[in-house]
Amino acid sequence: MILQMKNIRLKREKNRILNGVSLDVPEGCFFVLMGPTGCGKTTLLRLAGLLDRPDSGKILFKGTSLPRKGKNLLQTRRRIATMFQSPVMFRGTVSSNIAWGLKIRGIPKTEIIRRVEQILGFVGLDGFAGRYASTLSGGEKRRAALARALVLEPELLILDEPTTSLDPAFKRDLLGRMKEIHARTGTTFLMATHDFTDALAVGTVGAVMRDGLIEQSGSMDDILFKPDNHFMASFTGVRNIFPAEFQGFKARIRELSIAHAEDRHGHGFLAIPPEVIVLSLSPKITSERNRFTGVVKSIERNGTNWDIVVEVAGVSLIVAITTGALNELFITPGSTIHLSFKASAVHLF
Amino acid sequence: MKRSLAVSLFLLAFVFAGCGEESEPPQTAEAAAAVEKVSESAATPPMARVERLRVATTTSLYDTGLWGYLEPMFEDRFDVELDVLYAGTGKAIDWGKRGDVDVITVHSRAREELFVSEGYGVERVPFAYNYFLIVGPADDPAGISGMNPEEAFAVLMDNGEAIFVSRGDDSGTHGKEKSIWTAAGFDYDSDVRTAGAWYVEGGSGMGPTLVMANEMQGYTLSDIGTYLAYQGDLDLVPIVDQGDALLNVYSVLQVEASGNPELSLALVEFLTSPDIQQLIGNYGLEVYGIQLFTPCAGQEI
Amino acid sequence: MTHLFEAFNIALRMIVTGDSVVFSIALRTLLIASTSTLAATLLFVPLGCMVHFSTFRGKRLAVGFIQTMYSVPTVFVGMLVFLMVSRSGPIGGMGLLFSPWAIILGEIVLIAPIITGLTISALQSTGKCLEDTATALGAGRGIMILKVLTEAKYTMLTSVLMGFGRAVSEVGVAIMVGGNISGYTRTLTTAIALGVGKGETASSIALGLILLFLAMMVSIVVNLLQHGHGGEK
Repeated sequence: MILQMKNIRLKREKNRILNGVSLDVPEGCFFVLMGPTGCGKTTLLRLAGLLDRPDSGKILFKGTSLPRKGKNLLQTRRRIATMFQSPVMFRGTVSSNIAWGLKIRGIPKTEIIRRVEQILGFVGLDGFAGRYASTLSGGEKRRAALARALVLEPELLILDEPTTSLDPAFKRDLLGRMKEIHARTGTTFLMATHDFTDALAVGTVGAVMRDGLIEQSGSMDDILFKPDNHFMASFTGVRNIFPAEFQGFKARIRELSIAHAEDRHGHGFLAIPPEVIVLSLSPKITSERNRFTGVVKSIERNGTNWDIVVEVAGVSLIVAITTGALNELFITPGSTIHLSFKASAVHLF
Repeated sequence: MKRSLAVSLFLLAFVFAGCGEESEPPQTAEAAAAVEKVSESAATPPMARVERLRVATTTSLYDTGLWGYLEPMFEDRFDVELDVLYAGTGKAIDWGKRGDVDVITVHSRAREELFVSEGYGVERVPFAYNYFLIVGPADDPAGISGMNPEEAFAVLMDNGEAIFVSRGDDSGTHGKEKSIWTAAGFDYDSDVRTAGAWYVEGGSGMGPTLVMANEMQGYTLSDIGTYLAYQGDLDLVPIVDQGDALLNVYSVLQVEASGNPELSLALVEFLTSPDIQQLIGNYGLEVYGIQLFTPCAGQEI
Repeated sequence: MTHLFEAFNIALRMIVTGDSVVFSIALRTLLIASTSTLAATLLFVPLGCMVHFSTFRGKRLAVGFIQTMYSVPTVFVGMLVFLMVSRSGPIGGMGLLFSPWAIILGEIVLIAPIITGLTISALQSTGKCLEDTATALGAGRGIMILKVLTEAKYTMLTSVLMGFGRAVSEVGVAIMVGGNISGYTRTLTTAIALGVGKGETASSIALGLILLFLAMMVSIVVNLLQHGHGGEK
């Protein structure tokens, strides 16, 4: 683990911002810290970047507990770089901005020039070295700030909402570059975002925060498909969540009986990710234990995919399919259709 | 950055341009006149630390230019920088009491005697006198021409419309005005100051008070010297110029607390010396055609 | 009207030909105002920085107090300094009254709140974000403060210029503790006050134009600083 935070608590003017947060960031991962605005992400990142101190709790960098003050703290902080939500550029040129962090570390001039030039290419700002930082556009400013942090070759790079208020095209571009840089450098990234699709685009590991607490952490797949609770499910945008009555390996949603992979009894929630349901025109011969017949109620575009709502025994299920699949199916509202999905794809909470 | 640098350089150049001009003589007649008028002694560096003597003078001796005329002579003779501070007699006496000036030249006998008897001044030495005038608009709206000052003031009080501008600044002239009101049978604070809008308390020196009276077309009490010095810019004419009450005696007093008693005494002796007395007597004669000050060193008045 | 026009003409000629009296007064005014501004800068820019970068109880109240002192009346400061430096006052022994040093002292007191307060504002407007950015890029406290000062230098220079503008154009202190002594403590403002009282229109206008020019230069430089460099955030 490159960074471990244990039972972190923090109060600001009687408001409890962090209520005992524990977080492990594995080395080399792209960690995304998710959660709605105001949940404490930024505060937690400032602690992770060693810019503030928690009221209580422990922070370990590469297994070593951090001193409260002094030269050692500065030395450790110099192995971490933070890029803030709305980056502030210093007066002067783009290259002087990027060079500053190196200059205060006493790096030789020729080395600085080499590294600045290299990093500008990395973030796609070739030819911007002599431009005044104040003349950059929003997207260019983010990339310059990213370069300013990256050029320090930090072991941990912290990014607080790097894509807020960027146009979709700039946003995709920036995220793509970050992913590429992560793959190329092996630096550990710790990024906060309130946008789940951003998190999915770049993250390998993540955690979701709510009201100063971590709700769930783990691999992005787990967070996406195995929400621990209703908040997680609705935050991640997983649809097809139903209250269910469990009877062993079966669950009942109204008249519908669904097979799943857990032995459970009593009441709870059940989620069927729309992506796991397969549609076919004729009953499919398959090993999948959940096979139903339903009626198409609506067909709607969702980004580049389509959402098909199918009613099965009084329950509406959303099925996500590609445009290609939709063209093959020849369905219209009112068509009869067959659905199938694996028992193991059903998530219980 | 470059632009602001250019601007600072320009400012600096401006400063030095000013330096260069300092020693040159005035190049135009107007400028020469202005030099004489503002009576700025441009010869000394602006902030040099040399031996300095401070004299606080009543405004009338300043505004007539007499001090500007005598100052360089004293400085040459005693190799000292003389700082002439102008203020009303009240303020000059106050500065003297605090020890902030070395010598005062004022014109209010009663206060001068008090100043000496309270131990603040060494001795009251009269060195010149002239007369006060009541000046006013040429058409004399209150009809006080030819009266003696006490009668004139009584008429003004009766009239209640014709404007009278008072110095109102605790100066020697103001003191004189108050004593005339008293002699005319009025209590200054309860009768005169509350008499109405016609009685204006200007609160400034003699020159500005004359300018104010001129603007308001009112009467005022002025020493003859200042009136003559300002006459060119004024429409006011002398209305009342007869009466013992109008005598105006200027005295020089060495301040007891002066840090430089030798030079202070030298200034008193300078003003009462025969040659300077003669210069005082002749001062302004050429310009105004009449004598501004009558020298009176050694006389008991 | 023609009188005024004529006076204006003479005034312009005095400026163009470099009239020695007018320019020696202007030079003295510049020297006095810049000495007090320099001293106030050396004393109160560091104080403003200290206030900004330290945390103490009642800091907000202190800053608020400093800001209300921007408009302290010049005659009030004049009176205060007079009572201080008068021979019977606490530092009367130094013999400062009616000397340029008294004016300088008064102007330092007068512009101290402006320079301190505007320095604090300049640092505040540079913002916590900048401090965080510098820290996050690996600066210790000292380097961080140095960086913030470098970033805020133009805005801080503005505060110094504002102080100079106030010092050069004030009249209350100069006349009360300087005494308007010819050739010694006569400044542009006191000379104008005397000249107008004496009806010396031409020389007063010349002095007034120079004063106006100085005040405008200050405004122009402040504007250049704010617009020329303000965009570079």
